[in-house]
Amino acid sequence: MRLAFSIAYRFLKSNKGQTDLILIGIIIGVSVQIFIGSLIDGLQISLVDKTIGNASQITIVPAGKDKYFLEDRALLDTLKTNDNLTAVSESYDNSAFININGDTYPILLRGLEFEDANMIYEFSDKLIEGNIPQLQNETLIGATLATDNNLKIGDEIEILTPEGVNQRLKISGIFDLKVSNLNKTWIVMPIEGARAIFVNDNQLTSIEMQVSDVFKADTIAEEIKNNLNNSSVDVVNWKEENEELLSGLSGQSASSIMIQVFVLLAVLLGISSVLAISVVQKSKQLGILKAMGIKDNQASFIFLFQGLILGTVGAILGSIFGVLLTYIFSIFVKSPDGTSLVPFYLDYKFIGMSALIAIVASMIAALIPARNTSKLNPIEVIKNG
Amino acid sequence: MAKILKLMDINKVYGDKIKTQVLFDINLDFEESTFNSIIGESGSGKSTLMNIMGTLDRATSGDVEINGINISNMNKNELAVLRNEFIGFIFQFHYLLPEFTVMENILIPYRIKNKNITKEAISRAEELMEIVGISKVKNNKATDISGGQQQRTAIARALINEPKIVLGDEPTGNLDSSTTEIVYDLLRDINQRYKTTFIIITHDKRVAEKADRIIEIKDGRIEMDISRKI
Repeated sequence: MRLAFSIAYRFLKSNKGQTDLILIGIIIGVSVQIFIGSLIDGLQISLVDKTIGNASQITIVPAGKDKYFLEDRALLDTLKTNDNLTAVSESYDNSAFININGDTYPILLRGLEFEDANMIYEFSDKLIEGNIPQLQNETLIGATLATDNNLKIGDEIEILTPEGVNQRLKISGIFDLKVSNLNKTWIVMPIEGARAIFVNDNQLTSIEMQVSDVFKADTIAEEIKNNLNNSSVDVVNWKEENEELLSGLSGQSASSIMIQVFVLLAVLLGISSVLAISVVQKSKQLGILKAMGIKDNQASFIFLFQGLILGTVGAILGSIFGVLLTYIFSIFVKSPDGTSLVPFYLDYKFIGMSALIAIVASMIAALIPARNTSKLNPIEVIKNG
Repeated sequence: MAKILKLMDINKVYGDKIKTQVLFDINLDFEESTFNSIIGESGSGKSTLMNIMGTLDRATSGDVEINGINISNMNKNELAVLRNEFIGFIFQFHYLLPEFTVMENILIPYRIKNKNITKEAISRAEELMEIVGISKVKNNKATDISGGQQQRTAIARALINEPKIVLGDEPTGNLDSSTTEIVYDLLRDINQRYKTTFIIITHDKRVAEKADRIIEIKDGRIEMDISRKI
């Protein structure tokens, strides 16, 4: 075996041109695979992040047609200690109207614990003016609503509820959530204040949560649901509400896998054909090795080892180039606002898998030449010599 | 003296549809530590005979006994081990591995047999290089030495595993006459020194005449078989 390895190594070393050619093939293959894979992964992650990064990923909502459910401190505490969840925020929402100079607009009045809600919506970072409300009669309004109606910090707005309650709130800050609909319709205030307006103590409309692995939201939601044992609430997750996005993502993944498979196939054929030529070139040496008593399978190992060496070196260098390519792309290809178009994202498991697949593929490619070697009859080559 | 190699009723037929018989009922045996030559015109079947003796080819019918063991029922791997341990080959062309040095080439049959190269193996290789006169070029690549040196390297390689039999198929066919002379003297010398049996195919009558026994093959049959008194 060691002899087969050292012969394989010497064959590769002596035939530098050929070896380099195969290596370049593998390196290009692996690096393109890693580049495309990482690019698509990065794109998907940024897309998912943009879509649901600042939204509830798992939400506990009232079951059926109910609008509210009873606040349960014990439930909140267990959710907050759940390791899969990165944010847990209770909210009391209700639709209402805002009256500005005699005109009324429909709004969504959101009562939140700002400390918790910040983990999801990042209000503190998204304030373009003012502060988070400190008092029960203070509120945040969206940037669109503010500019449309010329509202400023310190101004008072009048809220009308469908039940006929009339409440004045003071604007403490203006947020920009980058979604015009939210910027126009959300009135965000402390939860106690919101409850007070609707006279609805200890009720919640939802508990919003974020998870560490967004793609596991459905299984985590299922777990929560099973542990909840409460028929008055239901647990929903972003996946069931964003099927189109998900099918888009899986389509993208499928095409990325297709590209990777064909790149790999091209590499495989390349290695296989060059090694097959090498068997013909080395047939005299292989013939004499067989005459000297090397067994057929040992002779085959000469080429399998060549595949292994080429695959390993190619995979390592290819991975490095692939990562480098992804990095360069993320640095030089930027969107107009200066952030990189595709964030630099590395999935080490993916890179490891790509490298491993390249090594295995190289060995598979070496199987055909190895088989030819095994079949080679020493008297054929010695006679022809 | 013991018979090291026995051929019994060997027939060899090539081809499936159009059959060409190249060997007809060959019966031959070779005594241990003798120096034999086989002569014959090209196409006479001597190379086929050599390949059958060397287990590289199988006879269509008949039996081959090497060192008292009938090889007819051995599989390819068993034959490979047998070749590696019992038989050394010297061909018209040296077939050295150009990627390896002279020393490494000589050690290849040893490495096929053994996992590790021992000190004894190295000293044997050095002894052989001394005998064939290539000690000076032992670290040269096989391509960086002269034709005569390459053939000497092939001879040293054939001897590294201390084979009982060395088969030579025109071992000097590619060398000039003065080198041919030297190489044959060398083979005779090794034959006496290590008691190795030599069976050499040649078309050079002068060379053949130096052997203990001359066998002539003609049209697949033994035409002549003369032994000299040793």
